[in-house]
Amino acid sequence: MAAAPAQLFPEFIVDTLGLDSVIGEVAASLVAAFVVGNIILAFTGVAGPWAKRKITAAFTDRIAVNRIGPYGLLIIPAAAVQLLAKELIIPEGVDRPSWDIAPVLLPASALLGFSVIPMGQLGPINLHLADPEVGFALVFAFASIASVSLVMAGYASNNKYSLLGGLRAVAQNLAYEIPLIVTAMSVVIFAGTLQMSGVVGAQTETLVTIAGVSIPSWYAFVNPFAFVLFLTANMAEIGRNPFDIPEAPTEIVAGYQTEYSSAYFVLFYLGEFVHIFLGGAILAVTFLGGASGPGPESISFIWFVVKIWGFFLFTQWARAALPRVRIDQLIEIGWKGMLVLSFANLVLTAVIVGVIA
Amino acid sequence: MSDWIAIGALAVVGLLIPIAMMTVSALLRPSVPETGKSTTYESGETPTGGTRIRFNIQYYMVALLFVVFDIETVLLFPWAVIYRPAVQAGVPMADLLWPMLAFVGILAVGLVWAWRSGAISWARSPRATSRKTTEDIN
Repeated sequence: MAAAPAQLFPEFIVDTLGLDSVIGEVAASLVAAFVVGNIILAFTGVAGPWAKRKITAAFTDRIAVNRIGPYGLLIIPAAAVQLLAKELIIPEGVDRPSWDIAPVLLPASALLGFSVIPMGQLGPINLHLADPEVGFALVFAFASIASVSLVMAGYASNNKYSLLGGLRAVAQNLAYEIPLIVTAMSVVIFAGTLQMSGVVGAQTETLVTIAGVSIPSWYAFVNPFAFVLFLTANMAEIGRNPFDIPEAPTEIVAGYQTEYSSAYFVLFYLGEFVHIFLGGAILAVTFLGGASGPGPESISFIWFVVKIWGFFLFTQWARAALPRVRIDQLIEIGWKGMLVLSFANLVLTAVIVGVIA
Repeated sequence: MSDWIAIGALAVVGLLIPIAMMTVSALLRPSVPETGKSTTYESGETPTGGTRIRFNIQYYMVALLFVVFDIETVLLFPWAVIYRPAVQAGVPMADLLWPMLAFVGILAVGLVWAWRSGAISWARSPRATSRKTTEDIN
């Protein structure tokens, strides 16, 4: 069994600084939340202007950003300044304030999902904000708020492509939410808890030992079928290829994003990247043992980073390699394929756990 | 210490980051209004008609089904949480499995009915099928 999980990040700050009032706890929580928020922002900052271009270029045999700084890395601040300094064009007939709220809501909701994700340890700090007993259900709830933002943006933009994109976002969510959650439920059956630390802790036990190397019981090894199912549903949940139907730049000109410019456009882009990383984090926690990995516990944050960047790389690979499915195909895949498979997986998991437990 | 303080704190930070970016951008960006610039994009043409019109949402039956299945998943979660501890505590497996199978089974029958009646297929609007250009597709 794993050692007792380390103190949560806000509690660590409270104890280190000797704060004891409620105000101290709130202040410590805000500091911790600010640090976590900025870590995620740093990821998106590297991913958006730089890594995504480099990866896409490598897949399509081209050369990407290489002019500013080593490996073109200084494109990141340059792009940030350039994007924020763009003129904001407010189209005719947009529905305000919902047109303005949507780009705030998307990154905010995706960031909120990270509040319950155990991001591993960095030295003495356990990068985990909160560990409520319903954490596992909560993270799916937070991740789903994104669709509300997409519908708001689609409807408020007064653009027919945007409206189509918003409606497609709803159709996609309807098709994939149930398989995603039912597959996650099969993990809950194994873990017997909804607490994030419990779900991760259950995956630290040794599954088998092959030639002296012990394989941990990550649920991806325990139930690979559920892992593939969850991975597919997760790609649809975050709206990446082959399920980037709400955006579909070649069909409906980026859908809900069409009428956005300047900081508002950046916020949508940012929100999408945060959402990809949240999808990777959920995948890591559910099936890949959270932040665990070889080496001491105090560097487990590095493994978490490796896992969510691995997922990001996977989404970019899918983007370069897979064609987009059609919206009617999506509904059929979701309701006739994934839903049936996910319930079959749930029942089979229950039977297997019942026999071996 | 309550977990919800930390979650609320991240909600505040999560809202402040986009708002701060909007504010910085508002200070930096130029504003050069021109006629025609604020027209909505419609493949470079002058937009035809309004956007807020009535049209066929082709997945409304799916949306109704979704509500049913969503409630089902919510009701299954407590069962999933107690299942393994209950088995380990010695409750016979059949006693735990049958109620869940019955519950899922009733909805599965509903899904089969919806499948056979075509409710979970993309509803093709009558106008689209009657048009000559789409006749050869199906």
